[in-house]
Amino acid sequence: MVQTPIKQPTAKLPPSTHQFADVIHRLEAGRSMLPDTPENLMQIIGIYKAYAVPMDFYWRDLLYIAERVFLEPLPFFKYFLPKEYLDLHNHYAGDDADLRIWRGEATAHPELLEFMQKGKTFKMPKLLHHLWHDRINMEFAEACMQAMLWHGRDMGWGKFDAYLDSDEYKANADRAIKAYFKYNPVMLGLYKIFPDMFLEQVRQLSYYSNLGLFWEVMAPVFFEMSDIYDEGGFKGVPDAMNFLVNGIFAVAGRPIYHHVYIRGECYEIIPKSKGFMWLYEAALPYVEAVFYRTAPFRGTKSYNAQAREVPNNQKDFHYGILYADVFPVGTAGIPPTLLMDDMYHFLPDYLKDYYRQHCRGEDDMLIQLGITFQRSMYNVTSAVIQALRQALLYPLDDPNPEHLMANRQFFEAQMDRFKRPEARLRDIQNQDYR
Amino acid sequence: MLSFLLWLPVLGASIIGFFPGKIESARLRQITTIFAVIILGWTIWLLTQFNLSNSGWQFSEYLPWAEPIGLSYSLAVDGLSLPLVALNGLLTMIAIYSIGENVERPRLYYSLILLINAGITGALVAQNLLLFVIFYELELIPFYLMIAIWGGEKRGYASIKFLLYTAVSGLLILAAFLGISFLNGATSFDYNIITTQRLSLNTQLILLTVLLIGFGIKIPLVPLHTWLPDAYTEASSAVAILLGGILAKLGTYGLIRFGLQLFPEAWSIVAPGLAVIGTVSVLYGALSAIAQKDIKRMVAYSSIGHMGYILVATAAGTQLSILGAVTQMIAHGLILALLFHLVGIVERKVGTRDLDVLNGLMNPIRGLPLTSALLIMAGMASAGIPGLVGFVAEFMIFQGSFSTFPIPTLLCIIASGLTAVYFVILLNRTCFGKLDNKLAYYPTVLRSESIPAFVLTGIILFLGIQPNWLLRWIEPTTDLLAVNSERSSVISYQLTNKSLTLLSGK
Repeated sequence: MVQTPIKQPTAKLPPSTHQFADVIHRLEAGRSMLPDTPENLMQIIGIYKAYAVPMDFYWRDLLYIAERVFLEPLPFFKYFLPKEYLDLHNHYAGDDADLRIWRGEATAHPELLEFMQKGKTFKMPKLLHHLWHDRINMEFAEACMQAMLWHGRDMGWGKFDAYLDSDEYKANADRAIKAYFKYNPVMLGLYKIFPDMFLEQVRQLSYYSNLGLFWEVMAPVFFEMSDIYDEGGFKGVPDAMNFLVNGIFAVAGRPIYHHVYIRGECYEIIPKSKGFMWLYEAALPYVEAVFYRTAPFRGTKSYNAQAREVPNNQKDFHYGILYADVFPVGTAGIPPTLLMDDMYHFLPDYLKDYYRQHCRGEDDMLIQLGITFQRSMYNVTSAVIQALRQALLYPLDDPNPEHLMANRQFFEAQMDRFKRPEARLRDIQNQDYR
Repeated sequence: MLSFLLWLPVLGASIIGFFPGKIESARLRQITTIFAVIILGWTIWLLTQFNLSNSGWQFSEYLPWAEPIGLSYSLAVDGLSLPLVALNGLLTMIAIYSIGENVERPRLYYSLILLINAGITGALVAQNLLLFVIFYELELIPFYLMIAIWGGEKRGYASIKFLLYTAVSGLLILAAFLGISFLNGATSFDYNIITTQRLSLNTQLILLTVLLIGFGIKIPLVPLHTWLPDAYTEASSAVAILLGGILAKLGTYGLIRFGLQLFPEAWSIVAPGLAVIGTVSVLYGALSAIAQKDIKRMVAYSSIGHMGYILVATAAGTQLSILGAVTQMIAHGLILALLFHLVGIVERKVGTRDLDVLNGLMNPIRGLPLTSALLIMAGMASAGIPGLVGFVAEFMIFQGSFSTFPIPTLLCIIASGLTAVYFVILLNRTCFGKLDNKLAYYPTVLRSESIPAFVLTGIILFLGIQPNWLLRWIEPTTDLLAVNSERSSVISYQLTNKSLTLLSGK
């Protein structure tokens, strides 16, 4: 059972005067931004499970695109995952795991395989499932990848994005591009004329790999959390958050790389030896780009840049899931509808029953699960905030008041980002927000 | 046959009202529905039995009643009244399903709905002036009670205002009818005996004016309209459907039946004035609707405007315009019922009718997407978009009236553009935009709530594409009315010219 005791600082600080003082005090006590209620725990664990199954597809396909599809000019079948990648062993699940986080199988999750066969309609050829859009929405995963690429260096974490402009990277990419188009003079000719265009595509593919490697870790984490909950393991939201914090530190050093396989040969565009680490080059940029920032002009709500509805600086963007209106109409940022649709197929029964009791039951389950997802991501963000505090600052039970004050300033600075009216931090404090 | 149509709802009301024991609201609604279905079925059967080539009275029934005062139980229908009787039957069904299942004091509620049906049917099929007035006055009581008991916040004020105005309307009509009878020395109030030909033109004008004010209140026409916005807004959506959909039509029915038909000569003299009043009503209704913030009030003002078209067309008195006027009565009844039904759903689910609060109801998951789509459809029908029954009626009115009153007709055409303006405002603010997550916890619209809207939409579409299915019942009667009216206009023109010649001494 995973249960972390709540830290009680020996030194006392005066109460915070921040508008989110309650949340800050909760973080200082080692808890989550999400209130600790059985209902919240049930919701977030249920949704982690529903998220992990499509995520098991996302990471496999992201790696497949980065490693195999690569620069295919007409990548019509990039979402048609070959058996090789369905059988690909997750490094954090199964008997041969590097670090076994989930006690389940290393290959694709059985529920995922079942869904890929039947979809929400019935068993039919893969192409028909694809054309009928009866499949996992990889478009969501690609939107997340693009958000990471677009915000890239501006996020202040790691050196991964800077490396994409290095001569070493360009040389590696050049080798891979030439090898890939070895028997295609037309594309080689185009590469000669527009080298930057091809290079930019490879940079994007490196982010495919980055995100794929990030989610390869997260899928077993969420599966394991679901199993622990089913076994009666978690006693509250802080336990779930602390499991994430522990998980983050356990895999923080996992290498982030980009390998391409061309005619049986491996081209290391970003070698493992570069030392890019999972926490700094994937996890933190992902949270920043996808949870906080993403981009406007998605969904049907359009923002008028001339009317200053869009911030001048990318770092001030606020269109991520922590701010998103999960309604399918009028939303912004990465369209949560696609993910909501994916998660809908894999909801555990207890969560379905819960949704049936509220609002419009079956009819608006997509919205309800979207808001649950928002709650769960506030919990993941809490874990990231606690992990950062743990990595950069002081323990919560530090006896030195100055250290505790430094922690508080850190928490207050994090909470400042939720002062915006669009932020849903206020909403998730209320159980009736559905 | 008509007696069955008249007494069945009374029987239904009695059973529902006085049946011993406790009956659940849902069961009472089922019983009322059974009666309403039989009434509607009987009406449809009458429509199939109606001789389309006969422009006169059909299905006549006569029983002497109080002969010393000239009152008889005389019933019949023609192409003017039968479509309205059918509309009455249909809207009664719609009204039953326009209120939630758990209405308070359900026995009284459903009894009154059936009594309203009987009262309106009685007024439409009556062949005796006194009998008409009896039914015309009788249906005020159930309407008053329905507004006063199941109305909104200001129901007391609205119901008293409605009662006072419409009671005055009834008194004026009674006075005019008594005047017609006494001045003629008639011993009966039966339609086939009453005539105004022996009365002087001045007497006719006085009596017609009294009648016009009486029916003008009922329609209502500007400036006699002030009871309408309050009554329509405060009444529940079911009552608003009956008020605007069918009760107001008794006013326009009276104009044609007793104004145009009974006073053809005097009518031709007052017609230009009526056209002006009609145009003012149309413009006033449209402009006032644009200024509203309450969607129910907006629909109420739109009703004033649309009834104005009927007055202009009736004043013009051509074959096409009168046909258009009667078609507009049916079209407006259907469209207004649809609008009020949908507004009622919005109010029940969202809890407000305020345009400043409503937003994004088109949202497919948490909004009211079907209701919004039907509301757009109803708005289009009301604005006279081709392919819908509103267009058919308005087109006939404009084309039929233009030769007689070109300027009022042109102004009415402009006003029909204003209709589009306020409906765009309504739809834009209500259905489109972003649904606020904080507010969007509206209950689902039940299938039983949507079915009436689908039925009305289907009829509006069908009659818009195939208007002959409506016109074939109306046309013979309106043609006859127009011929009589034109003949009287010629006589009136000749008389006026003769008088002028005598006056000038030539």
